[in-house]
Amino acid sequence: MKYSSLTLRIRRFHKERVPQQWTETFQVEIRKGMNLLEALFRIQDEQDGTLAFRYSCRGAVCGSCSMRVNGKDVLACRTHVESLLEKPALIEPLPHFPLIRDLVVDMSTFFNHYLKIEPYLHGKPISPRTEYIMREEERKEIDPYIQCILCGICFGTCPAFEKDPGFLGPAMLAKAYRFLADSRDIRNEEILNDVNNQQGVWGCKTVFNCVNVCPKQVPPTHAIVKMRRRIFSYRASSLVSSFFRHLRS
Amino acid sequence: MEFLSHDILIIGGGLAGLRAAIEAKRIGRDVAILSKVHPLRSHSVAAQGGINAALGNAPASVKDTWENHAFDTIKGSDYLADQDAVELMCREGIERVIEMERWGTLFSRTEDGRIAQRPFGGAGFPRAAYAADRTGHNLLHVLYEQATGLQIPVYEEWYALSLIVDDGKCIGILALHFFEGRVILIQAKAVILATGGHGRIYLRSTNAMINTGSGCYLAYQAGVPLEDMEFIQFHPTSLYGTNILITEAARGEGGYLLNAKGERFMERYAPKLMELGPRDIVARGIQTEIDEGRGFEEGYVHLDLRHLGREKILDRLPGIRQIAMDFEGVDPILEPIPIQPAQHYSMGGIPTNLDGETPLPGLIAAGECACVSVHGANRLGGNSLLETLVFGARAGRKAAERVGSERKGMNKTAIQERLRAFQSILEEIFERKRQEPGFVIRDDMKALMTSQVGIFREESTLLAAEDKIKESKKRFLKVGLKQKDLSFNNELIQYWELEGMLHLAEVIVEGALARKESRGSHFRVDYPERDDEHWLRHTLAYKTPEGLRLDYKEVTITSYPPRERTY
Repeated sequence: MKYSSLTLRIRRFHKERVPQQWTETFQVEIRKGMNLLEALFRIQDEQDGTLAFRYSCRGAVCGSCSMRVNGKDVLACRTHVESLLEKPALIEPLPHFPLIRDLVVDMSTFFNHYLKIEPYLHGKPISPRTEYIMREEERKEIDPYIQCILCGICFGTCPAFEKDPGFLGPAMLAKAYRFLADSRDIRNEEILNDVNNQQGVWGCKTVFNCVNVCPKQVPPTHAIVKMRRRIFSYRASSLVSSFFRHLRS
Repeated sequence: MEFLSHDILIIGGGLAGLRAAIEAKRIGRDVAILSKVHPLRSHSVAAQGGINAALGNAPASVKDTWENHAFDTIKGSDYLADQDAVELMCREGIERVIEMERWGTLFSRTEDGRIAQRPFGGAGFPRAAYAADRTGHNLLHVLYEQATGLQIPVYEEWYALSLIVDDGKCIGILALHFFEGRVILIQAKAVILATGGHGRIYLRSTNAMINTGSGCYLAYQAGVPLEDMEFIQFHPTSLYGTNILITEAARGEGGYLLNAKGERFMERYAPKLMELGPRDIVARGIQTEIDEGRGFEEGYVHLDLRHLGREKILDRLPGIRQIAMDFEGVDPILEPIPIQPAQHYSMGGIPTNLDGETPLPGLIAAGECACVSVHGANRLGGNSLLETLVFGARAGRKAAERVGSERKGMNKTAIQERLRAFQSILEEIFERKRQEPGFVIRDDMKALMTSQVGIFREESTLLAAEDKIKESKKRFLKVGLKQKDLSFNNELIQYWELEGMLHLAEVIVEGALARKESRGSHFRVDYPERDDEHWLRHTLAYKTPEGLRLDYKEVTITSYPPRERTY
């Protein structure tokens, strides 16, 4: 291998220190196949036990270890160190969220937005102890949107969320669409009403940042555009029907 | 001293914990969850292939019954499972799986729109209901969604430090708010442990980094025995290098296992079921190929999916394809996946009855940390998700019932004693001069467990492991910490986790040493046969002031007398 060690410049934060924020450089010896999360563990074990970061599955399915690496928002476990060897790599917390400690950010805005869309199936009535019948085509329409692991990376890269923290954000709009597209859910108008505003689908700048960075290939912008269309056709049909009501009366 | 109180406190926010919480909340109890991670980061999220239930849906309608499922499970367990528990799980499981669909799980579908099922190891029918190969992710997100709908409070990123026991009853816990370093007393009429497994005792494990067995250790410390801990499941197919899980569904969909000579070697180990033999047998087959020089040099064999074709892989196995590409740079559509066995699951745990009750009143357990026992000596793939739902719900219901009849009693002395004990331990740790960092002991333990207490075991290596663990426990007493406060003290958390893992490792080693037979996942090279006469019984390990003590209890047999196990 060309390089035997990795240089990480890590943005640190501690609210009771002066200054609260600083950047610290660490050298980590690398091994073949090493990922960034493993490098952070090495630092925590061997150099600085106080370094704080979130972790769990180390297999890119739990969504814990999102952070900014050389300006790009990624999952640390899915980031190979081989891609970080040429120059010192800058490791920062996920942007747009309040800092708690080092790479750990406060995700409460994120999960509050999650609650706003009432993210649980409001099931249509069905006889007890039977499953709903769903066709594979319908499942496939919903499937891309339920891959979301709620890691928050799309929020970090979203210009609409950066401008307005009240913006529901890509992950949540994808979630809303997931219920809208699900024939088992009784809500239609309700979901569309909830997102039919500037903090919903109309706040999106359709720059596709979220689609490009999502580690699970969820396409939130597609969901947003689909919901905009549904709102349009819904508006059009209600205009038409109120016009006819008007004619009859 | 900060103080909180709930009817029911659940430690762990994975499938078992969430399902228990939902059940108790729907009955109208005041229930809260405490978890060291956000519930969606729990290890349940990583389950891939499926959840078993005799729905009889798939591929075309087949006549499967819960009795068939029970038989497969009991045979798979090498007859160590308690048969009443297995029957109950297989019967109630059907309803639990359908309920998950009704709550929004996006299961894959049959042509007529029902929940699709696929073949899994050791099963006579295609019985594993699945959502592509992200079944755990789907189930966990749906249960968490349901929990938010019921507004169940979660103490996120808090740690459970110890159980508070008063007059032979569990009355609450001491908890740590990790970010702020506050120690908080949480009183509860019932405490449910749903903390998952302890795979991180092993170097090669499919488990999340958080799976350190803290729930088992909390119970063990409080005097509750641990059952059948020597039975550790090694998953046949973990990705070479990182040991991330590659689902059994890859073989369920028709994948081949090939050695370096290109032979489908399972012919030698399970001629009828081949790649779909139960996990213990397939893992031993792979390890034998590697040990006898027929694997690849670095210690792996191939899992070949290429003949399934691009479309099937993208439709049914997209998750493991992504994992293989992300973590090993291998696209299974084009190349075989390098795999090796790795620790995956713990059949043993905290002994419970059918309602999750442990020997300690007020303490209930469910999921991987518990041992009902439905898995016996070897768990079938697709049964762990099922166990979390069936016994999670039962635990929640039992806790809710208990709470109805319990009076909230707070014994100040018991609490004060617990707190004092905690503070004095803490002071002692903080005063120590650091002689050795904990991670060195941890890494030694992991390597030891994988090399000496793995798929093949024998007396000499187990005795060596026993000595090493004893020595590690001594070294552990000299571990000092640099950081001397409670807020964000990673070192301290890792110190506690290591303490628990060393004890659990000891329990595993002692149980394995004592059990002079081979059964399911526990294979003794020096005692290669199953010995029902002496060993058709459960191990119980107690922590006593004099050290670890082993005891045994009978296996419950209902309608399936032990027979020879061939596949």
